[in-house]
Amino acid sequence: MTGLVAYVRVFLTFARNSLVRDMTFRSNFMIESISSLSWMLMNLGFYVLIFSYTQNIGQGTDAWDKYQFFVFISTTMFVNSLVQAFFMPNAEEFSELIRTGGLDFALLKPIDTQFLISLHRVSWSSLSNFGFAVLLMAYALTHLDYTPSWFQVLAYPFYVLLGVAIMYSLMISLAATSIWLGRNQSLYNFWFYITNFSRYPMEIYRGPLGTPLRHFFTYLIPVLVVINVPARLLAKPLLPDYGYLALFALAATLASLVASRWIFTQALLSYRSASS
Amino acid sequence: MSLIQLDGLAKSYTIYQKQEGLKASLAGLFSREYRTVEAVRGIDLQVEQGEFVAFLGPNGAGKTTTLKLLSGVITPTAGTAKVLGFVPWRRENAYRRRFALVMGQKNQLWWDLPAQESFRLHQQIYRIDAQSFAATRDELVDLLDVRGLLTQPVRELSLGERMKMELIAALLHSPEVLFLDEPTIGLDVVAQHNIQKFLKHYQEFRKITILLTSHYMKDIAALCRRVVVIAKGQIVYDGSLSGIIDQFSSHKVLTLQFANDTMPSDLARYGDVLEIAEPKVTLKVDRNVIADVLSAVLANHTLEDVSVEDPPLEEVIAEVFSQSQSSSPSAAAGAGQGGQETISDVSSA
Repeated sequence: MTGLVAYVRVFLTFARNSLVRDMTFRSNFMIESISSLSWMLMNLGFYVLIFSYTQNIGQGTDAWDKYQFFVFISTTMFVNSLVQAFFMPNAEEFSELIRTGGLDFALLKPIDTQFLISLHRVSWSSLSNFGFAVLLMAYALTHLDYTPSWFQVLAYPFYVLLGVAIMYSLMISLAATSIWLGRNQSLYNFWFYITNFSRYPMEIYRGPLGTPLRHFFTYLIPVLVVINVPARLLAKPLLPDYGYLALFALAATLASLVASRWIFTQALLSYRSASS
Repeated sequence: MSLIQLDGLAKSYTIYQKQEGLKASLAGLFSREYRTVEAVRGIDLQVEQGEFVAFLGPNGAGKTTTLKLLSGVITPTAGTAKVLGFVPWRRENAYRRRFALVMGQKNQLWWDLPAQESFRLHQQIYRIDAQSFAATRDELVDLLDVRGLLTQPVRELSLGERMKMELIAALLHSPEVLFLDEPTIGLDVVAQHNIQKFLKHYQEFRKITILLTSHYMKDIAALCRRVVVIAKGQIVYDGSLSGIIDQFSSHKVLTLQFANDTMPSDLARYGDVLEIAEPKVTLKVDRNVIADVLSAVLANHTLEDVSVEDPPLEEVIAEVFSQSQSSSPSAAAGAGQGGQETISDVSSA
């Protein structure tokens, strides 16, 4: 317990220092917040446009109507903003620390190295999307044609966090490969590709091309469960068929975290530092 | 058992040999040549509690690699090491709470924030209670005279000021062992002196064990009684600084001042003439024959003054370094991984 409290304190100091730094460069902070929010608004506008032509997405299956899909978009925003605020800047910097030998200092500290590397910077500006997502979610929920139960409301944030954990695991695993590769600058590309797949309902992946894709991104690289499971949990009435998906999401998260821990630890053993 | 104990510690790297030109780069996509670089080659060393030991050696001799091995930053290829009873590369928190590493060319403080914010972070990471933290920080801040700079962002500090802050950050948890890798590199004479003064005082007062690498002889002369000379990844000398001259210098410097402007013309028979400023001459004489040469000079000439001195320490060490470098065929081969190291093998993969 003392250990946990100590880790929480360290994290709060990371968060505080990051905020102090962000506030020092307030114009940069504002520009980052506005650009990230603008991107989200453009995305939302795109879907509003789509729903001006159709009633739902994924017709012929368990389709998503407009307000259900707004819940889906809000979920995407929650997951993305949390990953981008807490993990993305750190994963990106990790590659650079490996290349320049800056990782030396992280290895000296009497604290879990993965914790230190993963959380030492917080990008507060990325949380502007989180605030916007709260508003969009509130709007969508009040327009749904049914009311979610308390169980659904409570399970939702838990599954959002599981989604964040899956994304984090993928990201830190990829960043850790820099130790073996010397340089890995594909992190942003990777993020773009992966989030592109994860931000659509599973139902659209059908047919000879879609089904293998759905299986690949559900069972091998489980990014499709990241948004789909929590969004479905809140946006639609609970069906027994979804139970297995919820259980699978839990197992996939645990497996992702364990795998990423293993990759990170193995990679650290191969760290060779850089010239002083 | 010694506080620091190294037995046959070795570290080698495999390094990709990039060939020049586009054609070679394209070929390198399919087949690459690697070389094994031996950065540290079987070092045996014991350091006792409270010692202040200097690692001396040319660039790439293996000094920094040894410190990184002892800090647990990298793992060895062979051999064993124990510091405070711990194997460093197991990276146990109990060990990491008891030592610190300061690198003159790397910065661990948050660049955009005042140093005091980084100090607070260290307080949390090392779990230092508020009272001890405040007392240690204040003591170090006063010793290094940086109180007025605590609220200034690190990026706006001078190099010397930044190094002082790095030292404070490293010492906040009161480490028992301190590894210093060129802490005064790039600093002006005054800043170097201030850091030396601080380290001397701190080490004497706290009785901690310090291993220092530096290229500045003044650092070493001012701080360390014991010097370990490393060349080509091996220890070639372990003893006092003055002992280096006895071991590595083959000559002495003989200065003669002749009386009545009677300077002889055949000075070369006494030794190598270094300088002539009539009526004074400086000769380099083999230390084994210095007594004979002096007798012969006194028998044949009238002298006004005479002195026999050891050559300057810097000169002797430069000679040792250049010997070790000229005997290595790969002086620049390992520059990416700690400078000059020895190539033992060339393989293709």
